[in-house]
Amino acid sequence: MATRDVGGDAREWDEDAYRRTILRCRERGARTVFRTAFAPSESHKPEIVVAASSDGSIACYSLASCISSAAQVRNGVDGLLAKPIAVIEGHKGPAYDLKFYGDGKEALLFSCGDDGRIRGWKWLDVLNSEVPVAIQGSHLDPILDLVNPQHEGPWGAQSPVPENNAIAISKQDGSIFSAAGDACAYCWDVETGKRKMVFKGHSDYLHCVVARESSNQIITGSEDGSARIWDCRNGLCTQVIYPEKSHKLKETSWVSCLAIDTSESWLVCGTGRNLSVWSLLSCECIFNIDSHAPFQDVSFGGNQILAVGSEPILRCYSINGKSLSKIQCAPQSAFSVSFHSSGVIAIGGYGGFVDVLSEFGSHLCVFSCGGLDRDL
Amino acid sequence: MAEATPGLRIVLHQHTKERARPPTPVSSHADRDRVVEVFRNALSRPESPENFALQAVQEAIKPQKQTVLVLDENQSLENALRTLLQELVSAAVQTGERIMQYGQSIDNENNAVGQIPRLLDIILYLCERGHVEGGMVFQLLEDLTEMSTVKDCKEVFAYIERKQDILGKQELFGRGKLVMLRTCNQLLRRLSKANDVVFCGRILMFLAHFFPLTERSAVNMKGVFNTSNQTKYEKDAPEGVSVDFNFYKTFWSLQEHFCNPASSTLAPSKWQKFVSNFMVVLDTFEAQPLSEDDGNANSLEQEEAAFSIKYLTSSKLMGLELRDPSFRRHILVQCLILFDYLKAPGKNDKDVPSESMKEEIRTCEERVKKLIKLTPPKGEEFLQSIEHILEREKNWVWWKRDGCPAFEKQPIERKTLQDGARKRKPRWRLGNRELSQLWKWADQNPNAMTEPQHVQPPSVMEYWKPLAEDMDESAGIEPEYHHKNNRVYCWKGLRFSARQDLEGFSRFIDHGVEGVVPPELLPPEVRSKFHAKPSERNKRAKKEEEQKNASTQPEDTQVSSTPVETDGDGNRGDLEDTAPESQKQSPEMVQEAGQSEVEVGEVEAKDDVEMKGEDAALPVGDPEVESDPASKI
Repeated sequence: MATRDVGGDAREWDEDAYRRTILRCRERGARTVFRTAFAPSESHKPEIVVAASSDGSIACYSLASCISSAAQVRNGVDGLLAKPIAVIEGHKGPAYDLKFYGDGKEALLFSCGDDGRIRGWKWLDVLNSEVPVAIQGSHLDPILDLVNPQHEGPWGAQSPVPENNAIAISKQDGSIFSAAGDACAYCWDVETGKRKMVFKGHSDYLHCVVARESSNQIITGSEDGSARIWDCRNGLCTQVIYPEKSHKLKETSWVSCLAIDTSESWLVCGTGRNLSVWSLLSCECIFNIDSHAPFQDVSFGGNQILAVGSEPILRCYSINGKSLSKIQCAPQSAFSVSFHSSGVIAIGGYGGFVDVLSEFGSHLCVFSCGGLDRDL
Repeated sequence: MAEATPGLRIVLHQHTKERARPPTPVSSHADRDRVVEVFRNALSRPESPENFALQAVQEAIKPQKQTVLVLDENQSLENALRTLLQELVSAAVQTGERIMQYGQSIDNENNAVGQIPRLLDIILYLCERGHVEGGMVFQLLEDLTEMSTVKDCKEVFAYIERKQDILGKQELFGRGKLVMLRTCNQLLRRLSKANDVVFCGRILMFLAHFFPLTERSAVNMKGVFNTSNQTKYEKDAPEGVSVDFNFYKTFWSLQEHFCNPASSTLAPSKWQKFVSNFMVVLDTFEAQPLSEDDGNANSLEQEEAAFSIKYLTSSKLMGLELRDPSFRRHILVQCLILFDYLKAPGKNDKDVPSESMKEEIRTCEERVKKLIKLTPPKGEEFLQSIEHILEREKNWVWWKRDGCPAFEKQPIERKTLQDGARKRKPRWRLGNRELSQLWKWADQNPNAMTEPQHVQPPSVMEYWKPLAEDMDESAGIEPEYHHKNNRVYCWKGLRFSARQDLEGFSRFIDHGVEGVVPPELLPPEVRSKFHAKPSERNKRAKKEEEQKNASTQPEDTQVSSTPVETDGDGNRGDLEDTAPESQKQSPEMVQEAGQSEVEVGEVEAKDDVEMKGEDAALPVGDPEVESDPASKI
């Protein structure tokens, strides 16, 4: 704003405002959306997209308004800076993951981030806040605030709070699973906020976690190059999967992303530039695919596997490993792909871009997240 | 009922008619009724039309000429017949019979034809023979189809198809083609495109056969676009339906360009909009490739879809349509057609696409073709056939650009062409223009012979020298370099010898090429091999001397003769320049020349002509003698 007013008149030059705008501009360019999610709605249609981004904000965007404004700028500016309909300052440092717990009126919104916390809000409170969007942020206190434990070293030295890289939800027994930076996964009880279980066994940083509710298991992916299947009842590892070993790759790589399908019998696992699909019933690798760029997120969508990585392309594979299509998308490096049951896909990534694809594969709208920028 | 009375009534009417005859007003009601009765009566006659049709006309109209009706008479007859037809049809409808079967008498086997076809037969016969105006039968057929239900029309049309050969005759066709076209078009308009497909097809087939190939009435001569064929789609997003409405609009807006391609190319902004929209659609098609399953799932539907005229544009159907391979194909083929149109050179320079546009078209086309190939079922084959069809389409476009020239080539044209060729033929005395030019060149340059740079054939003495050297065995020439093995050299030499040294030439029979070489050139030991008698050799030498003298002299005579002998000289080649002179000098050699004919037939023929030319050299006033050497031979 300030820059725009300046024009040729330097008499009321606001140095600070100018600095702020420059800074903000840079920040915005480097902002990354780490997770996008479709909010549950009564009509079972994608209405609101929630994005967790690297400035720690969790912002909600209305698809309808994004589409209508996207239609106006379609022929002009390449990026649309969307205004959120609600925004929370979720974490100090980046927010890494975001999940909805339940649906309907009781829905809760959970997020985790670099500060090692898991925080939960009532979705309706977030959405229907009376505070104007412009000054929203820390207006809402979380109903749940869970902090990862610090490890105690010799002489009572406390380790830093390990960050949370991913969370998974198990509605059935009311728990949240978090994949933490201390190579452990934790299970938290939503009702009490107590830590129920610790899954120890990985030798390195955890990147991802998924819950397999039907058999009361979770699967974690770690930087040590393995994925482990844990039993939630006793906290023991039932199986270790080494995607790397089944496929000869020269560079060592870690498990960066995991996804299981709705029937919970197939697991897809992104290991560096390799994608492998496993049958959880027979514990066999079904196929491996190599790509040009490392995978950063995978998801099951319909009967396809959707995968994104550090390239501006969404790759779709069939369950038997055939490459179906490649769709150009807005973020240069995509960190999140999420699928809505109606066929709509949201992709978030570097530059703060969120690209929403319709069920036909056309671009519904592309916008960049404003996040916590107040003076938009 | 109707059949019981006519006989009686006719008698009555005949009386009145005879009484009323003197004034002969042609267009009174009474008169018309009378004519109707005559024909009604005629309908019941069982024999074939030629026996009574003309009589009936004569009886009804009392024409001025015996066999041909004049204008007014035709009109009144037509009016009467139309009335009769109308009565017959209404009677058929009242009895509930099919109109073409109405009046079939069951008892009489020969007369199994209904009354209306019978009437048509009679009129058709009259028209065919030229007794009445030729358009009459077409007029009746039009009336009949207009009066009949679609069901009956099928039978009427079957009648038309049966009589196609007669109706198509030149004299009838000329009178009735417009009426027939109108009839068929009216009929097509009445028919349902979905339910009467077969009948529509029959009509179209008939039209295709009935009208000549070059009939232009159905050709869109200027290639005007049917801009009224607009595709309407929803402009505002419907409530509560989750569909990518922007995409929906983008997608269907393409149809505006397909509907009127000319408009989209003229304005660059419109073209840019089209390209960007089109890219969005292509991206989407590529993002959602169709699998074989999709192709198979719709194969059943496709059979029905073959008749579908237009796709529905409801936004609710968008998702289904995008998954339908045949829908996708339709769109992609539309694109190809558009690109083909854009690429075709326009009538004016303005329409030619710019370079950048061409480039865009090219890239788009490649993508489209790739997509068609990927679209099941049998994408590759489909693309091939589409490309083939579009290629053929180009021919039609060119045909139109050329003003739709007729396909039929009249045989007369070829005849005139032959005549022309025959007339022109004598003009090029030597077969074609270039050769005649070459020959005339000598006339135009009379001094060419005397000029120092004039190329003369070498004397045999000079020419054979290399071979003579080779024949010296001491030289040890290898066979492949030996001149006797050079066929061109030998052939040329033989021709020279035939002109200049017939004696030597005759030795060819005994000794081959080497024998032809003059003995003077050869070393003694070699010479003895070929030339036994030294006396002869002396004679030859003397002759050689003579010839040398001669070869300089005759040139003078010839030059002096050229201005006179305009035509004869043209036929003379350089090679032969010296030949006639030698023959003239030694007439006894002519015989030898005749012998040599075996080897060099052409030489003889030419010489013959030359001789004649020479004989008639001065008095030539008759160019035909010289004009066609071939005919002489």
